[in-house]
Formats: sequence, C-alpha cells, structure tokens
Amino acid sequence: MKLTARFAEGRFVVTGEVGPAKGADASDALDGAALMARSVDAVNVTDSQSAVMRLGSIAVAHLLKQKGIEPVFQLTCRDRNRIALQSDLLSAAALGIENVLCITGDHMVLGDHPEAKKVFDLDSVQLLATARGLTEGQDLAGHEVDPPPSFCLGAVVNPGSDDLEMQLIKMRKKIDAGAEFFQTQAVFDPDAFSRFMEKAARYSVPVMVGIVPLKSAGMADYMNANIAGVTVPGSIIDRLRETPKEDRKKVSIEIAADLVRRMKGLCQGVHLMPLGWDDIVAPIVEAAELGSTG
Amino acid sequence: MVVGCGNCAAKAKSGGEPEAEAMVERLRAKGVTVTGWAVPPNGGSLCKLSATQKLLNEDHREESEAADSFLVLACGQGIHTVIDATDARAVHPGCDTIFGGETVADDFITEYCSLCGECVLENTGGLCPITLCAKSLLNGPCGGAKDGKCEVDPERDCGWRLIFERLRELGREDLMLKYQPPKNWLRSGSPRSLNMVGTRADFSFANATVTAWSGAEGPEEGARGGQGG
Repeated sequence: MKLTARFAEGRFVVTGEVGPAKGADASDALDGAALMARSVDAVNVTDSQSAVMRLGSIAVAHLLKQKGIEPVFQLTCRDRNRIALQSDLLSAAALGIENVLCITGDHMVLGDHPEAKKVFDLDSVQLLATARGLTEGQDLAGHEVDPPPSFCLGAVVNPGSDDLEMQLIKMRKKIDAGAEFFQTQAVFDPDAFSRFMEKAARYSVPVMVGIVPLKSAGMADYMNANIAGVTVPGSIIDRLRETPKEDRKKVSIEIAADLVRRMKGLCQGVHLMPLGWDDIVAPIVEAAELGSTG
Repeated sequence: MVVGCGNCAAKAKSGGEPEAEAMVERLRAKGVTVTGWAVPPNGGSLCKLSATQKLLNEDHREESEAADSFLVLACGQGIHTVIDATDARAVHPGCDTIFGGETVADDFITEYCSLCGECVLENTGGLCPITLCAKSLLNGPCGGAKDGKCEVDPERDCGWRLIFERLRELGREDLMLKYQPPKNWLRSGSPRSLNMVGTRADFSFANATVTAWSGAEGPEEGARGGQGG
C-alpha cells in the first residue's frame, strides 16, 4: 500500500525504520520490523546508512513485503550511476515495492569505505524526476519503459538546517520533481519545527516529523556536535544523564512520545528511527496516543 | 635522469628546479647513479612536446642519452610527454597528480574546476558545484552542512552556501529555483583529445565529437567554449 493512500485517508501516518546488518542474513532487520509492524503504516529500510556497507535495502524491503509488512525502500545516489538507479527502481517495482525514499546518501568519507569512488551521478532531485519519469513510461534516455512501475515517492528535508531558505528551495524542487511526502531529519525542538512548518505548509505535501529516540546523554552530545541541524535541548540531556541505565529505555520512550505529542498537530505523520532499539517503537506510538494504525 | 616541470609542478613546489636538484641528492644518497636533471625554463610546461623534445634531445642531450630511465616530477601529462620525447624510454612517476587548481598564493593552490565538460558555471555564478560540493550536487545543498561548513570537511565552506551567497550578490537567486537536469558526463570520459585546425577545435571521446570555434567564422550554434588539456 502506498503511503499516499494513507495520507489521502486523512490519517496521521506512522513509519518506523530498520537498518540491515553487515551480513548475509536479514533476520535481525525482519525481527526488528516485526516488533513495530502493528504500530506503524510502513517500515523504512536504510540503504547502507552512514555510508557503512551492509545488506541491501532492496532485498530487505522485498522480504518485509513477503511478510506482509509495508516497506519504504530507501535509495541513495551515493553508490549507483543512473543506469543502476533506474534498474534498481524497476527491480523494486518487480518485487512489489511501492514506496521509495529518494535520497542523496551520506558521503563515503564518513563511512567504513572512505576510499570508495564517489558516484553521485544524480542528485536527490534528479533521482525523484527520474523515478517519476519511469512511472510515466520513460527512462532518462527517453526510451520507453514497458510496463512502467508505479511508486509513491518520498524525499527528506532537514527542518533544523542553519540555512532554512536553501532547504525550502530544495524542498520545492523535490516536490516539483515528484516528491509526494517528506520525512525529516531528527527533530528535538518543537518550536523550531513549528517555524519550519509555517513555511513548508504552503507546499501542501505531507510532512512526517523525524524522531530519534535517545539512548543516552552521550548519544545526545554526539548528535549535537556532529549532526547538522540537530539540537537536543539541555533539559533532555540532563534528564538522560540522571537516569540509571536500566531505566533508559523507559525514559527514552517518554521523551520521544512527548515530542510526538507536541508536534503531531503541526504535520501529517511521524517517522520513528529507533537505530536498533526496535522494541521501543510500539510503546512510543502507544504513549503518544497515536492509536493502532494497522 | 630527473625531469621537472616549470609550470604546475613548480608552483606546487614538487617539480621545480629546487625540487629537481633535491631529488638528485636524495637519489644519489641512496646509491642511484643520476646522469643529471632538467626543468623547462621560464615557467615552461613539461606537457608541451616540442619544448620537451628540445629540452631533452638538445639542451640536455648528453644526460638524457646516458639515462636508463627518467624520474619525472610532473603530472601524468608531463610523464607521457617524456615518453613521447624520448622514443618511449622508461619513466617513473615522481609526483602524485591530484588536481589542477588556482594558485591563490605562492603557498596555496585550490581547486575550482574538475575539467569535466558540459560546464554549468553560467547557472551558478561562476562557482562550480561539481567541484565545490563534496557530493557534486547540481540542485542545491544536501542538508548536511553545519555552521555553513561541509559535513565532509569542517574546515571547508559548503559549496552550495558559497554559490547561493554569490547568486544573491549578483541578484540571481532565481537560478537557485531552476531544475538542473542530470549532467552529461560523456565529455568527462577518457581518453579524450582535441584536434585543432585554425580556429576550429574538434573534441573527441568514443562516439562523441564536439566542435568549438574560437574565431568569428564559426557557426552560431557551434560557438561553445572548449576546455583544452
């Protein structure tokens, strides 16, 4: 089921996320997705996230589909040229995958194969336009694609970016190129998100606020220092620091649910990125009173 | 024999006269017999074959003929020029060629052009996103910049921040909104060559041939800028 159909129903859409492991077995990702399946509309599958080589997102997305869990196939421009990107899009469609998140991808210098040759043949805007072209029966070279695939295309935006004007310009370009929904970078500041949505709302494209449950104060400090556009407030960090280790998941759920409650009125959905804490997605959804989505 | 280059490698302080002389000393200290050294005079480039032929076959003929091989302190173009100038004798690369850049100061060279063809600078205020953006994005920044600095190198400005500021200064923010289609990389394929006859230049790679005109007699539609070697 396409996420666009969920949005069309006027529902507050919830997505989770799993990151495949570095190994020839998808069990961990599938088990993680199963833990959140009943609480979400779909589960994103990351594409060698953080530029660390892992099991492919297309395979895990397909296996999720087989298990009856709706996947959002993440596709990055980092490692594939336009031939491979288009071929993988057709492969995804042939495997029944309908939701595709089109992203540039983290630079390989930040990952575990920094010596890799960079590709970035297309950027995320061009990838969206290319995917839309395929759905209209035409590849990038202008040749017929028969039968064409059918996708719901998603994109990302960073509401906390220190250059919001450029982010909004690019968001608009992504919409013009074919983006039908947005998932955001992690947000911890509802006021900043509100200011972003005041500007983004005019585009009338569903926005799902990104939530990363914090595992520790150290993780929050790391994100503040290293992740662009992410600012974890001191009050949250203090709370985590004062929490004994055995209670951290419980507090993490409370913090995430509180953020969702405060922002759900501003946007059309939430994207939960548990970064391995796959068992806390369902409790966050419950605590945020989003109800069962099924 | 040690051969340097009076242009780029000299500017990069890796293949000028002082570096060539120092290399001779290093080789001799390691027990290598060095017949001599040569660097094109007056800032000359090693990659100009006619000049390098004169350098090695006339000005430094004795040292050149006595050498078993040439250690070349220049880029790969210069190294191949030595092969051509010496009837295909053995060469060793003495420099690690990385990029061509602007010599901003005597001690600072930085890259503004990737020599990739299908130039987009007209749309970006003269600042190249292929070169200045670590991901070579054509439609704006990735969202990973922190405090205006690139996520790949915190010492380096986000290329798209620079482009946007420049377009703003030029009153051309409208160009930011324009969709840039996927780049045609055909002209960045290698090996490439340029044949010049009068004011006409034919570029070729594989089946792609492009003609550029530098004179007034060129046809209007063919008047595109070429980027030589």
